[in-house]
Amino acid sequence: MSKLKYVGQSLKRKDGPDKVSGRAVYTQDVRLPGTLIGRVLRSPHPHARILKIDPSKALALPGVKGVITAKDTIGVKHGFVETPRYPADQDVLAIDKVTHVGEEIAAVAAIDDITAQRALELIEVEYEILPGVFDAETAMQPGAPEIRPTHPKVKEDLVNIAGKTETEWGDVEKGFAEADYIREDRFENQLRTHGYLEPQVTLAHWEGDKLNVWTSSMGTFIKRAKLSRTLGLPYSQVRIHKTYVGGTFGGKIDLYSHEYCAARLSMLTGRPVRITANREEIFSAYRHSQTLTIEIKTGVRKDGTILAQRFRIINNAGAHRGSGVVVIFLAWGFIMGPYRIPNLKYEGYAVYTNHTTRAPQRGHGAPKVRFAVESHLDMIAEHLGIDPITIRLKNARGPWEQLPNNDNTHEAGLIDCIKMVSQKSAFLDKWRQARPPADSKSPLRRGIGIGVTSYMSGTLIYPNGSGVVVKLNDDGSLIVLTGALDVGQGAETVLCQIVAEELAVGMDDIKLITADTDTTPQDIGAWISGMTYVTGNATRQAATHAREKILKVASEEMGVPEEDLGIEDKSVFNLHDPQQRMSYAQVFSASVAKHRGDTIIGEGFWRTMRDEPTHPSLATTKGRWTENYAFSAQVAEVEVDIETGEARLIKAYTVHDCGFPVNPGLIKGQVDGQVSMALGQAFMEEVMTKNGYTLNPNWLDYRMPLIHNMAGSEDFEVITEQYRVGQPYRTKEVGEGLVSGVLAGIANAIYDATGVRLTSAPFTPEKILAGLRKLEREKARELA
Amino acid sequence: MRDATAKARPAPRLITLTINGEVREVMVRPRIMLLEVIRDHVGLTGTKDGCESGTCGACTVLLNGKPVLACITLAVECDGKTVETVESLSEGGRLGDLQEAFLDQGATQCGFCTPGILMSAKALLKSNPKPTLPEIKKALEGNLCRCTGYNAIVDAILQVSDQGVAPLMK
Repeated sequence: MSKLKYVGQSLKRKDGPDKVSGRAVYTQDVRLPGTLIGRVLRSPHPHARILKIDPSKALALPGVKGVITAKDTIGVKHGFVETPRYPADQDVLAIDKVTHVGEEIAAVAAIDDITAQRALELIEVEYEILPGVFDAETAMQPGAPEIRPTHPKVKEDLVNIAGKTETEWGDVEKGFAEADYIREDRFENQLRTHGYLEPQVTLAHWEGDKLNVWTSSMGTFIKRAKLSRTLGLPYSQVRIHKTYVGGTFGGKIDLYSHEYCAARLSMLTGRPVRITANREEIFSAYRHSQTLTIEIKTGVRKDGTILAQRFRIINNAGAHRGSGVVVIFLAWGFIMGPYRIPNLKYEGYAVYTNHTTRAPQRGHGAPKVRFAVESHLDMIAEHLGIDPITIRLKNARGPWEQLPNNDNTHEAGLIDCIKMVSQKSAFLDKWRQARPPADSKSPLRRGIGIGVTSYMSGTLIYPNGSGVVVKLNDDGSLIVLTGALDVGQGAETVLCQIVAEELAVGMDDIKLITADTDTTPQDIGAWISGMTYVTGNATRQAATHAREKILKVASEEMGVPEEDLGIEDKSVFNLHDPQQRMSYAQVFSASVAKHRGDTIIGEGFWRTMRDEPTHPSLATTKGRWTENYAFSAQVAEVEVDIETGEARLIKAYTVHDCGFPVNPGLIKGQVDGQVSMALGQAFMEEVMTKNGYTLNPNWLDYRMPLIHNMAGSEDFEVITEQYRVGQPYRTKEVGEGLVSGVLAGIANAIYDATGVRLTSAPFTPEKILAGLRKLEREKARELA
Repeated sequence: MRDATAKARPAPRLITLTINGEVREVMVRPRIMLLEVIRDHVGLTGTKDGCESGTCGACTVLLNGKPVLACITLAVECDGKTVETVESLSEGGRLGDLQEAFLDQGATQCGFCTPGILMSAKALLKSNPKPTLPEIKKALEGNLCRCTGYNAIVDAILQVSDQGVAPLMK
């Protein structure tokens, strides 16, 4: 097979020129004449019964064109998960009670923002305040205020249980009995927001029989499904248009109330309605990540081999199920992926509290789980006198391991990742040096730490499959129709590279039409880490289909068997006589003339785990989760000022098995971005709340990494798969899993630098100083 | 709460701005910010609205050559001044060197912070054609980017200022 020209190359972004010129149209840039401004009335209380809503004064205000409350809805609930076990539990507008500060109660549409704001203030709502509960472990206990009933399948005497995941294999007690050393630890982490730069914004326009929607999202097909259902419209009456998307990171997946409200208000008023959430609303009322409390017990042999592990995870899931019941399933997946655990018992609880509803966030729980597991493993290794690399190599999964859920690790490159990251970072030379710089009076201490992760690359969640159409134009260029949405990760570029490779055309010869629910085929969306694999294979298949048609026509015209034909530069040539050739333009004409008008359209579709009927059980983990595990090992080097307690990331090394890199430059961008997210999570980011109210609802008080916080980042690939033209391929995810190892590595590096073991994120100066003081006191006691 | 009656509102003023070399006259009330004038009155939507509170830098434009946050700059204060936005960086549809360097380094992902960062970088490079790393950091400290981790952005500025950084992307 000839050398690859496009796949595997760091080609510039297809959408780049639009983005650096200001031409890129984001949802906030779409303009329609006559647009009304919508605003949402939100609950001022964390938990209250709604006794009365009277919007009459608002409706009477000049300039107000519409007001909606729950009475204007069809009462269909929605949720991140909508399954028989976990039916939807969210109203688009609150009906009888509100369960978090900022919950949506009503919405108005008016001629301008000031009038809309004024109208909100005229809506009269009477509340009966109910007691709230904010801590998950308190909320579980009988006697706590009930937010929603405990799930009927959970038989324990607990309240507010939104869902439970429970699974085990092997014999955990036997494993512990055989262990030489057993350790138990508990880890906690903070509430953290996504920090997408483009606010949540939706523009909706009802045209009498069609609802047109522009919304900042992570997948237009899932938005269409949820909007159609809550509005009571057939899918075909709702069209979600493509816009550029200004960052998502998990925070713009399922339905948000403002999307429904913009649509409903447009249907009522017959005019376009735009609703934009301001930053304070996003911080105070929208969905953030979930905080997990993770209890681990591990039994090991003297040589570090894991014999048994028991996990109990409690997720503060907020006011609705949201993705809370997904995280407690995924946490199990993130536990069992990287290391062999012969005996495992896992329990995860998602608990309702009066916090805002939760959403996925880049890694969907993995950073928290891996921070806990990797810290715990380092503590075990230290007790056993084993170094961090050796204990990881001892337990790391290898290729072709069958997992207890019938997944398989395939060509897993984890062992090579650990070895390579150790070597690239000179880990063992630096470890345990707590290196002060040459000037020994300096308060700065350096430390190094490692973290390991595996992550899914696509799974089965609606809409499950992606279709792609590749059309040949009569000048030999191509149009690709795909539902894929580029949220910044580079999907458009990667799909173009695949088409360019398969059809031997230049990147500039391809025009993409994307993510429009009326004109493009269905797509899985940019939120389950499977786009390069699933939509990419659909694209490859569509291009192959088009190539087969091109070769068939050319073969007839040229009188050369198909197997003797090659393609290059938008033309077909005779492999034995390269001068004999036909341009794609000529092939197109010949096809139209002699193949009953066939204009050469290739179709492709793909689905991960094609033979699996459905997604795995969130409650029992039964069923397959993914067919492509990505693996990685990452090392963090930190510097800690022992006088101020301030720590910073100096450098991150990432070695990962992504199958093969379709675009190494784009992958580097993903790695760097995740390093930045990890250091934000490690050192500075926390949504502070008190009784459900957000205390720091802006970017001055919620600190996100600035350019001053940037860290060095090097990445290397362990290549385990190949790309061959015309063949299905396997790629593994690179966009989510790489926050984890850095976060875990930072925790371990802080310990290496200072001896302070932090079990709760973020790793603030206060916590580090408190740890140092404690060590000093212990030392003083020993001396005494 | 503002009184809704027109009489009680402060009177609008006619201001003149030179935006990307074009003279524009706009009637604005005193509370209107420069960002609203640029995006809604003039219709240049390349400048982004990320926080409306001066915290993210996505709305950075040049006012008389100096970077300002358009979301917290009153339009009436800009009367008679020149404004440059991201749209000024390309000429006749051709990208400028700074923009090309961003593409060469993969320095834009979702792209929402990019217009503001480009304008901060342009102001820096105009006064300092070969900025050091600390100078680059100082100039960009008001611009949040959630996607790139900033490394690629720094590399783009080093590349365009001819400081030995080669393109990453082809």
